[in-house]
Amino acid sequence: MVENSRTAGGAGGVRLLNQPKPAAVEANKHGEPEAIVVQGRFQHVRAIHDSWRIDDEWWREEIARRYFTVELANGRKLTVYHDLVGGGWFAQSYDGPKRVPGA
Amino acid sequence: MDVACLVVPDFLVALARREHPELAGRAVIVGGAPEEHATVTACSPEAAAAGVAIGTTLRRALALCPRAVFLPVQEGFARAEAATVADLVRDRSPLVEVVGQGHLHFEVRGLARLAGINEEEYLAQLYEGIAARTRLPVQIGAGSSVFVAHVAALKAGRREKGGGRREEEEIANYELRIAEGRTARANNDSLSSSKQRNSQFVIRNSANSSIQNPKSKIQNFVVVPSGAEREFLAAAPVEVLPVDPVMHLRLRLFGLEWLGQVAEIPISAMQAQFGPDGAWARALARGEDKSRIVPQREEVAVTEEIELPAPAASSEPLVVGTEALLQRALADDEIRGQTVRRVDWWLGLESGEQVSRRVVFREPTSDARRMLFVLRSKIERLQLPAAAVSVGVTLSGLCSEYAHQENLWNVGPRRQRELEEAIEQLNTRAGDPQVYRVVEVQPWSRIPERQVALVAYGS
Repeated sequence: MVENSRTAGGAGGVRLLNQPKPAAVEANKHGEPEAIVVQGRFQHVRAIHDSWRIDDEWWREEIARRYFTVELANGRKLTVYHDLVGGGWFAQSYDGPKRVPGA
Repeated sequence: MDVACLVVPDFLVALARREHPELAGRAVIVGGAPEEHATVTACSPEAAAAGVAIGTTLRRALALCPRAVFLPVQEGFARAEAATVADLVRDRSPLVEVVGQGHLHFEVRGLARLAGINEEEYLAQLYEGIAARTRLPVQIGAGSSVFVAHVAALKAGRREKGGGRREEEEIANYELRIAEGRTARANNDSLSSSKQRNSQFVIRNSANSSIQNPKSKIQNFVVVPSGAEREFLAAAPVEVLPVDPVMHLRLRLFGLEWLGQVAEIPISAMQAQFGPDGAWARALARGEDKSRIVPQREEVAVTEEIELPAPAASSEPLVVGTEALLQRALADDEIRGQTVRRVDWWLGLESGEQVSRRVVFREPTSDARRMLFVLRSKIERLQLPAAAVSVGVTLSGLCSEYAHQENLWNVGPRRQRELEEAIEQLNTRAGDPQVYRVVEVQPWSRIPERQVALVAYGS
């Protein structure tokens, strides 16, 4: 019989890419970002180019996010999302699904 | 007077009428024969008045205007004629933007003073020079900005005030033409008032011009004096604004028919209704145009040519000559530090003929050997009708330095084994995996962090 190794199970040498990074965001009353801290400084949001919502995995740990692609005052583009379940803002690049299963 | 605009209204129709003067005054539709499954490419004001517009199917155009003359599109001819007009303007201006066929914006700042004549004389000479050479109904406008010059050019070519009923109809037709077949309503009262307001800006026709029809009172060019832009634009219909046609329609639904009315609307109201386009249209209507002439980028090309020491009929001396030419051309200051996408190679034959070949590289290169490798096969396949006396190359399509990343793992089995051993040693020394590879996990997932992951190499 194999002994219990007492170590936590896991994926070993697997690291997920494109993990969300916590971001300091000042939002307006409509929940849209107005300013974002980038490199320790608040940068005003010049324009919101796109906004979309993702709701998924409600059958286990629900994921509900509202994404915004914004252009900052310095011209930089950034994608941030507001976690509608746990609260808080995160920065994360977004490319969309690459292909559908079975395709 | 900083900017001028040259317009040949309905360029394709004008070309057809120049080649076939019997078409003058008749409805002309360019696009093909009416039974063809195609659409209207251009139409004369007479056809537009019958409801034909660019994009209408030819069958529908025939139904709308059964007496129209249908002509095929002669693309090559039209392109060559448009290039001729553009070249004539380039001879007279240092900065020219080709907006379309028979439509150019160009800088005229200081040119009249340089020629020692006043602005009107300068434009008269410009008009006469181009109209005489092209024999096309050229209209020229000039002003302090691109938009003012453009509107002035559209206003040129219309008849002067004081005519009878027929002249009034011609003016109404002109306004319809500006609207390009869209929903311009010719309100006679508004037109006559706008005509009066404009009379002070509509500068004389070229009275000395030999091209001008003595029976007509058509103004060939219009100059808008500096400081009078807003007043001049006030009488132009909203259709001259370079915005979406839907916006023209909506402006008219709001009762805004003239730029003068648009200029008076508060910016907040224009922005609320039309967004950024609204603010821009209002600024244009007020004569606040900050756009600049954008000239066509000139393509840099380096040409080298040599006379062969003796007439050659075999490929070997041609290859040697080509190699020398390529090396000489690549050393040129214009090309140094850049890569080349296109090589034109040619031979001058004893008979006076020329044989040429063009090579376009899939990846731009600055390597003479690689260029020669491709050219050599073409040279060796040539069957020359006469001996070659000269050879030349032109390098063009310059790009910035080009490089591509090689795949580290796309190597032979021996090298692959060495790499794997090196990675294992690295991992052992550090205690943790040090080299990872990107693996798709759930590429279909809408959640970005689920799509790809790093997996330790070798696990």
